[in-house]
Amino acid sequence: MTTTKSAAAERVLASKKKITPIQVVIYVFLVFVSVTYLLPLLWVFNVSFKTNKEIFTAPFALPQNITFDNYTFAWSAGHLGIATLNSFIVCAVALVLSTIIGSMAAFGIARMRWKGSKLAMTYFLTGMMIPVHCVLIPLFTRFASFGLSNTLVGLILPYLTFSLPITIFIMTGFFTGLPNELIECACMEGANIFQIFFKICLPLCKTGIFVTGLMTFIGNWNELLLAMVFISDDEKKTLPVSLSKFVGPYNTNYSQMFAAIIIAIIPTVIVYCAFSNKIVDGLTAGAVKG
Amino acid sequence: MKKGRILSTLVAAALCVTALAGCGGNSGGATTTAAGGGAAPAPADNGGSSGGVQEITWMFWDDLNATEDLISLGYKETIERFNKDYEGKYHVKPITTNLEEYYNKLNALVAANETPDVFIVSPGPQLTDYVAPGVAAPLDDYLNKDGWKASFTSDAVFTQQTYDGKIYAVPLNTAAACCFYNTEMFDKAGAKVPTNWNEMIDACDKLQAAGFTPITISAGTAWCLSMVAGYLCEAEGVELPKLADGSASWEDGKLENACNKLVQLSKYFQRTAAGDTNDVATANFYNEEAAILIQGSWVIGQINGSNPGFESKCGVFQFPGVERVIAKSDSLCMSSTSKCPDGAAALIKYFTDDTAQKYTAEKGGKIPVTKVQYDASVAPKQLGYVMDVFGKAKGTFGFYNESLPTTETGAHFDDTMVAVFLGDMTPADAAKDMEEYYKANCRK
Amino acid sequence: MDKMLRNWKSIIVFMLPAFVLFTVVLFIPIVQSVYYSFCDYKGMTDPVFIGFDNYAALLSDKTFGIALKNSMFFLVFSCVSQLIMGLFYAVLLTNIKRGRNLFKNIIYLPCVLSSAALGLLWMFIFSPKLGINQLLESWGITDPPLWLMDTKGFITLPMWMIAFVALWQYVGQSMMLYMAQISGINKSLYEASYIDGCTKIQSFRYITLPLIRPMVATAMSLNAIGSLKFFDLIFNMTEGGPNHKSEVLATHLYQQGFKYFKYGYASAIGVVLLVLCLLVTLFINKVVKTEQYEM
Repeated sequence: MTTTKSAAAERVLASKKKITPIQVVIYVFLVFVSVTYLLPLLWVFNVSFKTNKEIFTAPFALPQNITFDNYTFAWSAGHLGIATLNSFIVCAVALVLSTIIGSMAAFGIARMRWKGSKLAMTYFLTGMMIPVHCVLIPLFTRFASFGLSNTLVGLILPYLTFSLPITIFIMTGFFTGLPNELIECACMEGANIFQIFFKICLPLCKTGIFVTGLMTFIGNWNELLLAMVFISDDEKKTLPVSLSKFVGPYNTNYSQMFAAIIIAIIPTVIVYCAFSNKIVDGLTAGAVKG
Repeated sequence: MKKGRILSTLVAAALCVTALAGCGGNSGGATTTAAGGGAAPAPADNGGSSGGVQEITWMFWDDLNATEDLISLGYKETIERFNKDYEGKYHVKPITTNLEEYYNKLNALVAANETPDVFIVSPGPQLTDYVAPGVAAPLDDYLNKDGWKASFTSDAVFTQQTYDGKIYAVPLNTAAACCFYNTEMFDKAGAKVPTNWNEMIDACDKLQAAGFTPITISAGTAWCLSMVAGYLCEAEGVELPKLADGSASWEDGKLENACNKLVQLSKYFQRTAAGDTNDVATANFYNEEAAILIQGSWVIGQINGSNPGFESKCGVFQFPGVERVIAKSDSLCMSSTSKCPDGAAALIKYFTDDTAQKYTAEKGGKIPVTKVQYDASVAPKQLGYVMDVFGKAKGTFGFYNESLPTTETGAHFDDTMVAVFLGDMTPADAAKDMEEYYKANCRK
Repeated sequence: MDKMLRNWKSIIVFMLPAFVLFTVVLFIPIVQSVYYSFCDYKGMTDPVFIGFDNYAALLSDKTFGIALKNSMFFLVFSCVSQLIMGLFYAVLLTNIKRGRNLFKNIIYLPCVLSSAALGLLWMFIFSPKLGINQLLESWGITDPPLWLMDTKGFITLPMWMIAFVALWQYVGQSMMLYMAQISGINKSLYEASYIDGCTKIQSFRYITLPLIRPMVATAMSLNAIGSLKFFDLIFNMTEGGPNHKSEVLATHLYQQGFKYFKYGYASAIGVVLLVLCLLVTLFINKVVKTEQYEM
């Protein structure tokens, strides 16, 4: 290869090693962009420790004395504590169920031999194009008549269902990619189809499970509309709903509001900081496939 | 195939769990039946025989734990008092939302057959929405018992709650929409309390010249602006019943005049009026950033709760050029499907007993609905002024958005007034628009 | 083995749970929703078939007009801006060595955060008395714009602000998609182009752009559907206000359905939304997606 390189190519490639003025411009620009991303978050973090008065008199200074009152208020009286728990329950259950049910269907489509598999795939895929708003009213009336409105199960069901298309789509890709010999071998050894699925194929598609799980969990964790329509009981609200409720009609208590915002985003931020590369790559892999 | 069986069992189990949890959710209403010892379906039984505690759900539009509003806090006290007095028999479980989504949530519960036993409603089309389909129960039987009804100031307090001679809701307090003003700013600017439209404009001019923001108002919360529009319409002599039956037209020039006055007045609003919400507009007033706040007297609790030092500076006057005042009473309804109607009625009664009504006046600053004797010296000063205004008025009328044929018509009126204020619609267009809307939706 | 893979019982066990859920929670409600859109159906009454009345009413509903306009604006704005900015960031990041991961992760961060929380955050930043305006005032600008309250213009200022916040939040997604595609391009293609005397810009034009075209289609349809479904940010930043000027289809549907309980009418809005989603996806896939190049 090196012998065929012309001088021009050498120059362009070599220039990558040194820091050129263009690179400096790029870095300056990127730092500026990063500031626009981090500053709003840092600003809220800063003011969440202030009193209401301080927010208006000294908006950009550091808080005079750090008080956690805003946080305790938002956590208990603002129901954010219970909301975090609810969000976690709903998302975790939806995650586990959608992964199992979705992978099973994906396996059925990718590996089982039957005539309708292509059609089934198309059927599930249409789900990706359907906005949740369109089914809001029928779901709401139906759930209400079944006593499912205002329950966490009433949230888990649609969350789970709306996670299925993407799960099935991605997992089908993974299952199709597995070598045929693997299943043949297992079959020779006398394993039945469910053992092959649970013990062999599923563990081999860990990446797929991770990717879909991540997309499902984050999507559901942040979901507002369904939760807002279905849940009216304070004790059952999820995080985004409790947060939206915080802007009261009577009193907007800014500092507590800011504390609430921080409480709502901090778990995600911490998890993100710890596993950012994996998360970003995983989500991108999911989106690429989708 | 062992795995297969395990798997299908799992699936079946999952479905069962789903179904069971579904029932669990439903039992919010059902447990009360169970706790009532099966006697609950018979309303004659007062529920005490079984010894179980009956749960009464009570729905309200403010979060009792997070609120700083004195009236809301008073309701919280009342409920605690009720729970203590009826310990072992009834227990009240409050369901709270914020005001904006209150009716959404209430309707959702009604649709789910989980109508709260007792719920708060504004009189007008909103109450009609619950009376007409039979969601709210008539309360006459309870009111006529033990002289409950006689404890109210007069039968007139039930006017807006009466349908076909039956009372469907119990008012808890009355609030009148007045102009609250900062006396200090008025003195500094040399402005006088206005009694007619020209004096109002004059006072605003003086306030503005002295460097103050004359009026703080919220167009972000549309009904606040529309309340002022309502007063202006009243001053022009708009007659809503005639408009509803078609014997008068919105295009007769009255609404147009009112809108022109609204535009004239809007020069004196704070700069951020277009988007400020109700709270922000009110905060502008008690933080002394603006001189006049046109608002219902429920705001007294909020003003004094947020800035106690402001009470002495706060005066009240009647909206100039109008003889009647806009009045509104929060009212409690009882669900017609309540499993525990007696408990529910007892709860409603607690809100109108002397302790609660005294609190209403002395701390909450609203006008009580019963003949209770309260200590005027401990009540907020503003209440006295409001009572004066109320006493001098030649009658009351409801909020415009709550006096129109349907809730949505009210919202349309609000939106139209906001559009006029924002300059998106001329006053003549607004009148035309309202007339067209009425023709299409209200006069069938 | 073939016998095992063709076993109907196991196929049913694998497919049934997903099929049942999908049908009951998604498919049947869609059909119901279409039916409701032809009904007079208000909260506590039963649906009564009325034909196309709801759709006729949509035509004369001013707020629906505004909502449709705003939704279309969002659609176009987010497709175009995400394409340009996402590609721009992706190219910048693939051209630096150090700190690529750091910058990438920072720009991607808001994608995983709750739009409800971020909507509130930006609502406060753009509120008349806090955030940006405090900053502007401290710099001596006494008459700062009312970011989320202005009502002038065909596309109002609040709509622009919300659109920019949406771009801010989701551009990381597009950026990552393009980066993944760009890093998948064989380096020898570039080397060959430099040998032929191409500049960097030329090689971007003739190598990068054609090769990422399939990804543009993917990213665009994601953006398009995302922007049509857009709800959380608007709900928490302006709630459709001032005076419905920043209403979009999703918020209008919510208002009509769950504020006034006009289920039939709201269903008609939902059907319009559904049809738009399907049309836009089809359109993008037909027009933008071309044959895949071998890389």
